[in-house]
Amino acid sequence: MTAPLLDVQGLGISVQGARANLVDDMSFTLHAGQTLCIVGESGCGKSLTALALMGLLASPPLAVTGGRALFAGQDLLAMPRAELRDIRGDRMAMIFQEPMSSLNPAMKIGEQIAESVRRHKHVGYEPARARALEMLERVRIPAAAQRLDEYPYQLSGGMRQRVMIAMALANDPALLIADEPTTALDVTIQAQILDLMRTLQAETGAAMIMITHDLGVVAEMADQVAVMYAGRIVESGPTEAIFDDPQHPYTIGLMSSMPSLGAHRERLVTIPGVVPQANDMPSGCRFAGRCPFRTSACDTPPPLEDFGGGHRVACVNAPLEASRQETGT
Amino acid sequence: MTEPKPILRTHGLRREFVTAKPLFGAAQVVRAVDGVDLEIAEGETFAIVGESGCGKSTLARLLVRLIAPTGGEVWYGGTNIADLDEGAMRALRRELQFIFQDPFSSLNPRMSVGALIEEPLGAHGIGTSQERKARVAELLTRVGLRPDHADRYPHEFSGGQRQRIGIARALASGPKVVIGDEPVSALDVSIQAQVVNILEDLKEEFGLTLVIIAHDLAVIRHMADRVAVMYLGEIVETGTADALFARPRHPYTEALLAAIPIARTGARRASAHIEGDLPNPIAPPSGCRFHTRCRYATEICRTDHPRLTGSGAGQVACHHSDTLALTGLADADTDRPAAAKARFALYRDAQARKAKETTEP
Repeated sequence: MTAPLLDVQGLGISVQGARANLVDDMSFTLHAGQTLCIVGESGCGKSLTALALMGLLASPPLAVTGGRALFAGQDLLAMPRAELRDIRGDRMAMIFQEPMSSLNPAMKIGEQIAESVRRHKHVGYEPARARALEMLERVRIPAAAQRLDEYPYQLSGGMRQRVMIAMALANDPALLIADEPTTALDVTIQAQILDLMRTLQAETGAAMIMITHDLGVVAEMADQVAVMYAGRIVESGPTEAIFDDPQHPYTIGLMSSMPSLGAHRERLVTIPGVVPQANDMPSGCRFAGRCPFRTSACDTPPPLEDFGGGHRVACVNAPLEASRQETGT
Repeated sequence: MTEPKPILRTHGLRREFVTAKPLFGAAQVVRAVDGVDLEIAEGETFAIVGESGCGKSTLARLLVRLIAPTGGEVWYGGTNIADLDEGAMRALRRELQFIFQDPFSSLNPRMSVGALIEEPLGAHGIGTSQERKARVAELLTRVGLRPDHADRYPHEFSGGQRQRIGIARALASGPKVVIGDEPVSALDVSIQAQVVNILEDLKEEFGLTLVIIAHDLAVIRHMADRVAVMYLGEIVETGTADALFARPRHPYTEALLAAIPIARTGARRASAHIEGDLPNPIAPPSGCRFHTRCRYATEICRTDHPRLTGSGAGQVACHHSDTLALTGLADADTDRPAAAKARFALYRDAQARKAKETTEP
């Protein structure tokens, strides 16, 4: 197998004044053309991971405490700022959740796209503007030539997100990081944007990290999935393995607490309690406090163990069928 | 008809908003709710679904007159609340309550939780001070909080807990109808499930009629008995949740269902997604308002406005609904493999056991 495009090992992120890491020992690899979805609930550290890779952590109070992130062989976490600025927006780009707050409201959208082309490709005004037009057409914005000279407020939410995508892809990045790119959009517009992202990814061969809380979006987009809970990956692997053979109690709980679209309307299963805060993080498995399968073995941190085919699970009781028989309950 | 009698009924309900008033010329007017006829039966869970800007939140507010209609009627039992005076309306509010979407901005941050929940009791002159305190404690327990939480302030609670406080406040005056405007959409999945269960339990316990406004079709599928689909200020289809999800009759409903990302592998269907954005609601398209995005549209759809027709069991506003065979969600679309289902069952059992242990030590 070829070397991965992105190889993250042992990434840790801390915040001043908190005992436990907000992101702890996070490791994953990503190959060109592949999509990794990082899924989890608010505060699980999925967005922090993305920001750390882009060198956009607000530090202080946040800081990377360890690990490395090799992007085409270079460590993003150890790179000087100037060098990172050259890569960012060029070889790797990011799409944010809120297009309205990530676009410059006082700048025409054509200029916003052209700016990054000029900065990284060192071309003049006209070629950059031509590239901006080409990108608006590629993200299927109607009447793209007129839109070039419009401001973000003149566009709908879906169109703004298309502009964000056009801007991110303008320099043909090898890696695209999308943080909840469709969460603010209506369901029919979300479907259009997800379609568009799949098409463009197939055309460009870019790798993508998609951060989402929506397991439906994961099932539609991901090749690989990492489920995060309280700063740690609790389960990861190929999409089929995660959805067809979920192993970690948190993954199972998350999936069964989603209302089903089917006709049977059972009472929803819940995950009782709330996510622990960084200051009273359990020393063992971070999910233990909410887990119905908890045993005394959960008091030590569970390693991510391989269940075959790259399916890794951080639970000492997995597979759950077997452990229930052993304890005889 | 043997249907239960409607508790809320609207007739030709309209609400306009002036969006811009130029110095000269006519004001720009959005018809956010445009001629809505609805019947909500006592004891049912009725859902109103649609995308941003379709007017669903405006409709919800009109149903309890948090805002006044521009025209039309809202009948609560034998009273048309559309032209009730303020005093009489205030008295009626005891029976018509509202849960807001954002638990962070709908609770007064300077009032304690106890005061927040007690406020509607005081406003309606229910009970003595002592009785009210007891009622607050009871309500807190009912929504899964503790009586001693009454002395704390909203900022001390998480989003899910704040929504529970919002629910307790809405239930305080003993309402008959509770309207929830996106009551769970700001919450994480696991917390959302807790709040959905609480709403369903309380509905059962207090015999409420629930009206849920939502854009999340899975939540609606789970909670609702009947559903109304809105597009650009109008209702385009109503029906039982079972029928509407399995056999949609309006092309917009079909498009909404086709756009839901389904959390199972192999569910990625051929993209039958509708093109384009919502048209400008200030100048909605002629004829059928959906025709600009509808793949079945013909000439008549561009010129003639379709009326909502059918019985209380199911209504649709589409010229071609009799001839179209639209695709809904089949059970097979959402079914999961046996291995996954076995794990879900294990989790459910383990949790039931654990819950039993903690309540019966």
